[in-house]
Amino acid sequence: MTQPILRLAGIARDFHDGKTVRRVLKKTDLSVYPGEFTIIAGPSGSGKTTLLTIMGLILKPSEGTIFVRDTDVTGYSESRLATMRLNNYGFVFQLAELLPALSVLENVVVANGIQGSGVARRFRQKALDLLESLELKDCLLLKPLQLSGGQKQRVAIARALVNDPAVMLCDEPTSALDAESSTIVLDALKRLSQDQTRGMIMVTHDPRVFPYADRLIKIENGAIVYDSRTTDAAVDAPVQNQ
Amino acid sequence: MRSLVALKILLHDKATTAGSLIGVIAIVFLVGQQITVLFGLFTYMSVLVDHSGADIWVCSKNTPNINATGTLPVRYVDRISSLPGVAWAEPLVFGSGTFKTRDGRCEGVQVVGLRPPRGAAGPWRFYEGSVNSLLDYEGITVDRLDRPMLGNPEVNEYFEINNKRVKVNAVTQSIKGFSGRLVFTNMVKAREILKTPPGRCKAILIKLTPDSDVGAALPGIQKLVPKAEVFRTSELSRKTRIYYVKNTGMGGSFGFSTMVGALVGIIIITLTMYTAVLQRQKDFAVLRALGARKTDIFIIVLVQSLIIAVVGIFIGFVLLALFLQAAHDSPLPSYMPGWLPPLHAVGTLLMCVFGSLLAMRKAISVEPASVFR
Repeated sequence: MTQPILRLAGIARDFHDGKTVRRVLKKTDLSVYPGEFTIIAGPSGSGKTTLLTIMGLILKPSEGTIFVRDTDVTGYSESRLATMRLNNYGFVFQLAELLPALSVLENVVVANGIQGSGVARRFRQKALDLLESLELKDCLLLKPLQLSGGQKQRVAIARALVNDPAVMLCDEPTSALDAESSTIVLDALKRLSQDQTRGMIMVTHDPRVFPYADRLIKIENGAIVYDSRTTDAAVDAPVQNQ
Repeated sequence: MRSLVALKILLHDKATTAGSLIGVIAIVFLVGQQITVLFGLFTYMSVLVDHSGADIWVCSKNTPNINATGTLPVRYVDRISSLPGVAWAEPLVFGSGTFKTRDGRCEGVQVVGLRPPRGAAGPWRFYEGSVNSLLDYEGITVDRLDRPMLGNPEVNEYFEINNKRVKVNAVTQSIKGFSGRLVFTNMVKAREILKTPPGRCKAILIKLTPDSDVGAALPGIQKLVPKAEVFRTSELSRKTRIYYVKNTGMGGSFGFSTMVGALVGIIIITLTMYTAVLQRQKDFAVLRALGARKTDIFIIVLVQSLIIAVVGIFIGFVLLALFLQAAHDSPLPSYMPGWLPPLHAVGTLLMCVFGSLLAMRKAISVEPASVFR
């Protein structure tokens, strides 16, 4: 049986709003498997982004345990978590979030050298290969301002992949794109998700993306209400559009 | 990669980077300019002492500075000259006079009378003529920078100082005094102008032989002249400078304006770098999300601060050098001792880093989760 690449056990998250404490993510167990394109869908405020940021080791859970490749990382310091993210995660943000001061190539390799080690030649070559595979070979020296939305998102994908991450997290990567660009990006992500060494999770509220999923998870009011992987789904409720 | 990110962000945010650079340049130039003027004034204060060529000065008892000394018997010169280890001893006469210009105006001057042929404490830099000009009984020098105020006297032209006839025989180059425009002449003429009795002088200059030790010679000389005070040249120079700094309020005034210059620079740096970090908050959040630690973000901002400091220091010192060049041939006092530029550069670097502390604090407080909002 395939071992999960990422496992959340009893994860919950509270937000403190002055005197009140609001549970935005209820106790959740979730495992992410390699070679699987998991889509987490839910309306705005459902807790899907909170879940994603906890999975991405960016937000600490109020309860529960996180395992990355069977390693309990829950008690790690901020610095160790940052290194875990660097070595094991790739992120694709909603608006690509490329650094405007850097060129396309520099944006892709920036994470590799950000802890001071310098960019190894093999990473530079890998970055070039990734950009070529994503049809961005002619954009290496361009700045993000000179790219289209779809091109920016493809650069973000290359940036997410350059460190060979075990987990790839995508936060609504197509929400700001037109239909054609969305299709190109989703096709690329689907293709990449087939890698048996990597688990891919995408958060979205757009039902048009669902057909790309190998596994669909629906979340509402901070709780998972449907998981296509499990046979005894609690509720098969349609996701509300924003 | 961190240094590259730091540099690239600086080059991308041209306006804020320029603002920070101006802050550093302000510190370097304003503070440097104040300090060079202050040191320039120092050189004026003790100019006679520093360029005397002597190792030891003998002045009247309780002399607070070189311009406030009484008279001494000239016979002390012979006593001192007979000591072993003394190469020479020369008397010096100096005091205030009134120079009458061509158009009848009166200007204050400081008359310095030297004993030829040695001419100790005599002028060391000439624009026109030489020290031999002072062999002429009526011969005086005027300084090139003082000429406009003295009515542009020409060489071989006659004037009056304290109603005594003098003749301009030479023009010195940038020799300035603190308590008046320096006019050199021979001792006989100086006594006549200043009404100094023949058997008296204002100070005695002593040069030791190369194998003699100044510290060892001082007690012996003091013993010979118990009613006078004996100083190392450096000691009298320092004493004179301290006197003027303390008693004229100059120290406080320069200190205050130097502090204001530094403060202005630090404020500019703080505000511009903080603004730059605010503009880049999203970028720092992205870097944190991708795997940058707080230390890495801190280093990026620190490197930015150092780049701005180094470039700003370079430009600031170029401007300062231009100022010194322009001031060299002007009445404005300016002097930069050799040890000052590195000290000033290090101080400016530290001020720049200090000014960017607030920015660093803001940068490392950025939450990576904010990328997802």
